Amino acid sequence: MNVIARPDPSPLVTFRLVWRTGAAQDPPGQGGAAWMTAMMLASGGSRGLSYKQILDLFFPMGVSVACQTDKEMIAFSAEVHRDHFLRFYDVFRGMLLDPGWREDDFERLIDDAVNFLEVGLRGQNDEELAKEVLYQEIFSGHPYQRHSAGSVESLRGLRVEDLRRFYFDQFTGENLTIGLAGGFPPGFDELLRSDFALLPSRNPPSQPSPAVRNLDENELILVEKPARGVAISLGFPIGVRRGHPDFPALLLAASALGQHRMSSGRLFTRMRQLRGLNYGDYAYVEYFPGGMFTLEPGQNLVRENEIFQLWIRPVERQQAHFALRLALHELENLVCGGLTPEEFDRTRSFLSKYVNLLLKTKVDELGYAIDSAYYGIPSYPEYVRVGMSALTLESVNAAIRRHLRSDRLAIVMVGREMAELRDAILTDAVSPMTYNSPKPDEILEEDKLVERRRIPLRAERAKVLPVDEVFAREA
Amino acid sequence: MAAVERDVFAYSYDQHDFDNGLRLITVPTAYPQVVSLYIVVQAGSRNEVEEGRTGFAHFFEHMMFRGTPEFPPERYEAVLQETGASSNAYTDDDRTVYHTTLTKEDFERVLAMEADRFRNLDYPLEAFRTEALAVLGEYNKDSAEPVNKLMEVLRDTAFDRHTYKHTTMGFLRDIELMPRMYDYSRTFFDRFYRPEYTTLVVVGDVDAGQVRAQVERHWGEWRRGAYTCNVPAEPPQTGPRQAHIPWQTHTLPYLMVAHRSTAYSDGAADCAVLDLISFLGFSENSPLYERLVIEEQTVDLLWASNADHVDPYLFTVLARVKEDADVPAVQQAILETLEGFTRQPVEADRLEDVKSHLRYRFALGLNHSEAIASTLAHYVSLRRTPETVNRLYRLYEKMTPEDVLRVAGTYFTESGRTVVTLAGASK
Repeated sequence: MNVIARPDPSPLVTFRLVWRTGAAQDPPGQGGAAWMTAMMLASGGSRGLSYKQILDLFFPMGVSVACQTDKEMIAFSAEVHRDHFLRFYDVFRGMLLDPGWREDDFERLIDDAVNFLEVGLRGQNDEELAKEVLYQEIFSGHPYQRHSAGSVESLRGLRVEDLRRFYFDQFTGENLTIGLAGGFPPGFDELLRSDFALLPSRNPPSQPSPAVRNLDENELILVEKPARGVAISLGFPIGVRRGHPDFPALLLAASALGQHRMSSGRLFTRMRQLRGLNYGDYAYVEYFPGGMFTLEPGQNLVRENEIFQLWIRPVERQQAHFALRLALHELENLVCGGLTPEEFDRTRSFLSKYVNLLLKTKVDELGYAIDSAYYGIPSYPEYVRVGMSALTLESVNAAIRRHLRSDRLAIVMVGREMAELRDAILTDAVSPMTYNSPKPDEILEEDKLVERRRIPLRAERAKVLPVDEVFAREA
Repeated sequence: MAAVERDVFAYSYDQHDFDNGLRLITVPTAYPQVVSLYIVVQAGSRNEVEEGRTGFAHFFEHMMFRGTPEFPPERYEAVLQETGASSNAYTDDDRTVYHTTLTKEDFERVLAMEADRFRNLDYPLEAFRTEALAVLGEYNKDSAEPVNKLMEVLRDTAFDRHTYKHTTMGFLRDIELMPRMYDYSRTFFDRFYRPEYTTLVVVGDVDAGQVRAQVERHWGEWRRGAYTCNVPAEPPQTGPRQAHIPWQTHTLPYLMVAHRSTAYSDGAADCAVLDLISFLGFSENSPLYERLVIEEQTVDLLWASNADHVDPYLFTVLARVKEDADVPAVQQAILETLEGFTRQPVEADRLEDVKSHLRYRFALGLNHSEAIASTLAHYVSLRRTPETVNRLYRLYEKMTPEDVLRVAGTYFTESGRTVVTLAGASK
């Protein structure tokens, strides 16, 4: 067990407890076991208190317990005013150490998880759907293939007993990190340590983790559903993550190509700002879920294997083929031409300073500290600043050539009339672009190249999937 | 109770009015190195009073990123990048807010650049037309979410004359015509992007006196305007209304039950009481939540909101129901809950729990400079001073079960009700 304690004079006390286990450890046929176990702890009752009683106790404190299940980590966090600190901790401890495992909580939370997949992802968030299908495709045959919430079929097959078993096996003292910050009393971190020493002191069993498959040619997944626009995500696995010598260089390259939700990147400038194709276009070197809801990256989303990814926000259906071609064109320009000296300087300056804004709250600070320990790197701001200062334009462009590419991609598009789109892509049909205002010659010339850009693709690697089949069952 | 005596917004702040009508609110905090600048313009979709102009305030927010002679878009972006700033903007009914968070060494540079765009915005017709397409892209990305459609239909059904009839995004028919409205965009800028409509909120590792001098230096020359926006008053609703939305993909059915509400106030009781009722009746520890979500498990989402607005808006309850067949029973349960408040006083303990919840939730939310600035931006657009927060929370403290009974009886009437349902295709 690790304890990270950061006392300060704040009137608030912050908890972030993270178990180094997650959806990658779901037993065979039990997709969603980690997710559901965590939900039973955070949104079910403890043995001493029903869920309703917990809500009643927390309500006047203005407190809630947040829970996040990803492939490698499960995190519980909460912030409480010191006025209620001990009463809160008493309940919180019971939730994590002595769960209630009630059938009625289980039924409610299974419904929530199924509706999260069926109604939330499939029905109401085409952009996140495209991203999650992309991960599924890239990690085919690997435990990361499965959505962290499992599938509709696997969720419906789970029993409370499966979750108790997962909890017993995986929530041990050995793989727990307790993060604690703010105005807690002296010695409280030691009390926590002894309370959580009740957990078994052993390393949990581990599911096999095969190598990520090679993508040896382009693959296209088209998810058919009625929609106004077409959401696009594309990418490929990379062997680089925090701690790798080339990580700072790729972080800089992705930022220059498309810093998340900023209007500075090449993709944003050339697709949205100059052409009005959509609302925004971004690039990533790390898993980044929920990008439509947040401006900053989350924490405790660490991965053994990462992917490089472009997120093209919904484009008009008739411009989808062109938009895909333009995204690939920009990616190819980056891979072949690298960054300009000016882009390099600006982006390096950006990341060196921007990293100071990421650790806004104590919850964030603890999350980053836990992630840095996982990757074996110094504090994240320090890691990025030092990494940036060591880079040169040449070293970044060399790293781009080593790790990035504009072929052998997985491409996912979500929208309507997907069979027609598949045929258009397979036959290299011209996708002319028209505008509602005059454009500079440079753009019009580039469009002539882009509208005929070939996307090498074999018919057997292009499939149209009805939306109802996504997350229906485990592969 | 000591907590009751404390102001919920306990930070010292400097509030200063410049000669041109611009107001500056500076809140120095102990969070090191970082400064948040929130520029609050008291104009939003409420100010879209002309026919066919719905969604324009939001569209205009996009145009504010299209440059000035001194800072064309690429130069503006380059400065933000060099300074490592996190920058964005949003528009809603009563406000447009431009916000930047950055390290303090670059604050004045960005403050000066922001002053330039509020005074000297200038964009070509081509950029205007291209940006109109990005707005359509934004509508498209939001269109898969049923709650957006529910809000659109609810407002259109519940209001006849007031501009709250449309959402901030606007009607699709108007969005599609935006590329033709270049001249109107210049009028919009001339009307609302003026110091008397604008408040700067600066929160972080700063000295208030220094910020005042910096703002004077860069924003002092900005000239006051002369436009007053006459938003049509909404006539009283005289009977219940309803609408239904067929949804083309699979979803769980949604139900919205709304009643005409009142304007934001930090002095009159009604608005504060309706806020309290939204928690008494529908929060996670309410009896209705316990029954529908935890015990019967017929509903998976339940919330209510009496969202703060400059003019009278709506008290809205939303439920997502697991089975179509249960929608009428859930509607009945929501109506009975609301009617319950009109018939008998709530338990005093429950009322105190809600007050405590609001007070602590507010305190827990102010945990970094940007959160403080963002919270203040909301209130400043309503009353132009952080003091309104303390007045509102003192008002909450004073409210009694009898106040709840009186206010519920005033607003939860059948004649002020609008119900909107949405149901999807089956799987």
